[in-house]
Amino acid sequence: MTIKQPSVLPGFGLTFGFTTFFLCTIVLIPLAALVLVAASMTWHDFVHLVLSPRALGSYRLSFGASLLAASINLVFGFIIAWTLVRYEFPGRKIIDALIDMPFALPTAVSGIALVTVFADNGWIGQYLHPLGIKVAYTWIGVTVALTLIGMPFAVRTMQPALLEVQRDLEDAAETLGAGRFYVFRRIILPTVLPALLTGFTLAFARAVGEYGSVIFIAGNLPMKTEITPLLIVIRLEEFDYKGAAALGFVMLVISFVVLLTINLLQAWGRRRIVQGTR
Amino acid sequence: MSITLDQVTKRYQGAPVVNDVSLDIGDGEFFVLLGPSGSGKSTLLRAIAGLAGVDHGRISLHGRDVTHVSARARGVGLVFQNYALFRHMTVADNIEFALRVRRMKAADRRQRRQELLRLVALEGMDNRLPAQLSGGQQQRVAVARALAHKPEVLLLDEPFGALDAKIREELRRTIREVQRELGITTVLVTHDQEEAFAMADRIGVMNLGRLLEMDQPQELYTRPATRFVATFLGAANLLLAHQTRDGLRFGKTAVSTHAPGTAHSAREHEVVAVVRPEEIEVAPARESLKSNYLARGSIEEILFTGALERMRIRMDGGADVAPLANGNGNGDGSGVALLEVTRTLHEQRAFQVVPGQSVAIGVRRIHILPTPLSSFTAFAQSPDEAEALSQQPLLVELATRMKTRISARSEPTFGVPGEDCEACGAFAGTTVITSGSDVAQRAEWLLQRGADEILILPQGAQSPQRVLIHWADETVRGATLAVSASVLRHVSAEAVYVGILPNQSADAQRPHGVRALLDARSEAQEVHGLEMRTELRFGDVANELARQLAEVPGQMLILGVCDASVLAARFGALLTAANWPVLIVHRAPDGLAP
Repeated sequence: MTIKQPSVLPGFGLTFGFTTFFLCTIVLIPLAALVLVAASMTWHDFVHLVLSPRALGSYRLSFGASLLAASINLVFGFIIAWTLVRYEFPGRKIIDALIDMPFALPTAVSGIALVTVFADNGWIGQYLHPLGIKVAYTWIGVTVALTLIGMPFAVRTMQPALLEVQRDLEDAAETLGAGRFYVFRRIILPTVLPALLTGFTLAFARAVGEYGSVIFIAGNLPMKTEITPLLIVIRLEEFDYKGAAALGFVMLVISFVVLLTINLLQAWGRRRIVQGTR
Repeated sequence: MSITLDQVTKRYQGAPVVNDVSLDIGDGEFFVLLGPSGSGKSTLLRAIAGLAGVDHGRISLHGRDVTHVSARARGVGLVFQNYALFRHMTVADNIEFALRVRRMKAADRRQRRQELLRLVALEGMDNRLPAQLSGGQQQRVAVARALAHKPEVLLLDEPFGALDAKIREELRRTIREVQRELGITTVLVTHDQEEAFAMADRIGVMNLGRLLEMDQPQELYTRPATRFVATFLGAANLLLAHQTRDGLRFGKTAVSTHAPGTAHSAREHEVVAVVRPEEIEVAPARESLKSNYLARGSIEEILFTGALERMRIRMDGGADVAPLANGNGNGDGSGVALLEVTRTLHEQRAFQVVPGQSVAIGVRRIHILPTPLSSFTAFAQSPDEAEALSQQPLLVELATRMKTRISARSEPTFGVPGEDCEACGAFAGTTVITSGSDVAQRAEWLLQRGADEILILPQGAQSPQRVLIHWADETVRGATLAVSASVLRHVSAEAVYVGILPNQSADAQRPHGVRALLDARSEAQEVHGLEMRTELRFGDVANELARQLAEVPGQMLILGVCDASVLAARFGALLTAANWPVLIVHRAPDGLAP
């Protein structure tokens, strides 16, 4: 342990104290309250509630759409980040700034904007409708909304990693005889994989917790287009605090398991790359 | 020849970063490209590797034209300054990368890997990751990786840049040994002259995108042809001297040293002399010098550096005799540079000196640069005009790059026909005048009074991107080419020789014209080390030149003439209209001195 190193910031005791204090007040205590409320239910009630068909449908939509949206962001976020990092073109700065827009916009505004565009008579929706593709008020709409709000997370995490992929590595691989695809698969991808995973994780986490934008475009039909956060709000409006807490608890557990898995994967990957760095 | 470059040019945003480089590298040769940062040496190396395309010229490897072959298919090995190892792969995987790409069998791969690891003395490191190795070891892996696919040439881009001195030395030796053992043609890029000396069979020195000189290290050091090479390779004092029939003269002191120069005319003329710091001797008095007396001076500074003692001496006699630049190449053209001297401990014991002491300075060896451009004289009718002209940005830029000085001189009778001036016959170096309506007459006036080179500068002239070369008579071809070569070493511009034939003779004379162009090109290349493009035009010489100069901005004209009296008549309109710099090179035919 080398915690006694002199530093410009106040000592370990003080900083660690603050860390625990903040974590407790804003993360741990509220979460503990959630678990406690859920725990005050009987086992039978709890199981009945969290495994009801309506709840199961909402999990499927929430986590399914979130995974799909995060995957879309993984691929297209990578392409956007690559374009912004590797190429110099007029308007690059503007596009770079646009990436952050979903961060700043109130999510309800994004939701309403998406409905305007994707409703059956909307700008894009009117062309999709004759093709039999309904976006608004279906699971597709949910995915679109979740992709939108997760995108900046993906792009912003990948950008710095791509900046660090040295051109020299590609040049070296090329002089050694490797083709473009080989270079991408064997050199670029392994180098940026940790950042890709982080971007995916953040986009996924953001999507699972999203509420504001989805409720406008989802249509909120029970079993079909109802996301778990909405179901929780509905339970709250019915003053069924325990039911809401139980659903919240389930979300908490699934999210935690997914995030932990990805983090472990990442740690494993990182260890492989910088094993025993001196 | 292993590597042949033919007039390779690479432009970046219009400006040439590699400018007309031609080069032949023999089988198994260790060639070092040496130059300051931004000289285009790395770009040239990347062009050889196929990582950078070229805009003009051809590249051949072992007789195979690879100009348009991708890096992948060129089969070269490239080693980078920052190693560029694949950090997520083990040493073994890194080395086998090229073999895997080529789908070699695992057993063969392993065998080749063992061979390579033994070659770079890293046996048993197979399963380490790059992060577990020291910088020197990583670079050894990079060398092994670059050699895995048995490339025809090995290219090294500043491979020792990131290493500390001791490891550098060791790795240098390893690379040299590996290179000898495999007999592989190798090109190394560096900015470190010591490294170049230590490794090279031959050194090519680059500056401003041009390959200035190439030769064996010792030749380059003792007999450089350009100021840049003289000051970049080791320390050098550049001094202005006068070459006379009897020998050299520094200021008023005749130095009897026989220094074979470039007597481009039998007349006395100004030359640039290179004196290495270690060729200078100091003694208490002129009589006790063992070598040729140069001047007296006072010691400004003494530095003890271990084996050698370094000192800087202020020469008596002021700015006129002071060196143009000293060992560090930091002469600013203002004429206050100090003379750089190094002495061995042995010399030091024989004559101890202290700062401030006045000493006699002797020189053991002087090398005269073959460049015809020595110094600049801003020439005008009034002192004010001359002074203003000497501040002209392009002139100052040229002088700074050429490490030479600009003096201002005024003659009230300048340009008045028939009027003589006081010190005529003493035009030293290049005379600089402003352009104007009577510029042709004024230039003629100067030529008739003994000026050999005249630079005509229009207001606000910029550094040229293209230099047109033309001579009005074959007798001045050599002189014009020598001057052009000298100018082009100091500007980042393309050189184009324009041959012009009279219109009516177009068909009859075409073969003759083409042969003249080719002759000119090969003479420029072989005698003056100047790479230039050639163009053949038909029509009136002055009109044709004017038309070409007007095409794009940023051009300069170098014009060779042998007869001063026809200048105004033939080129008057061209010179008067000029808003581009013109350098007139004048050599009177032998026996017809003005």
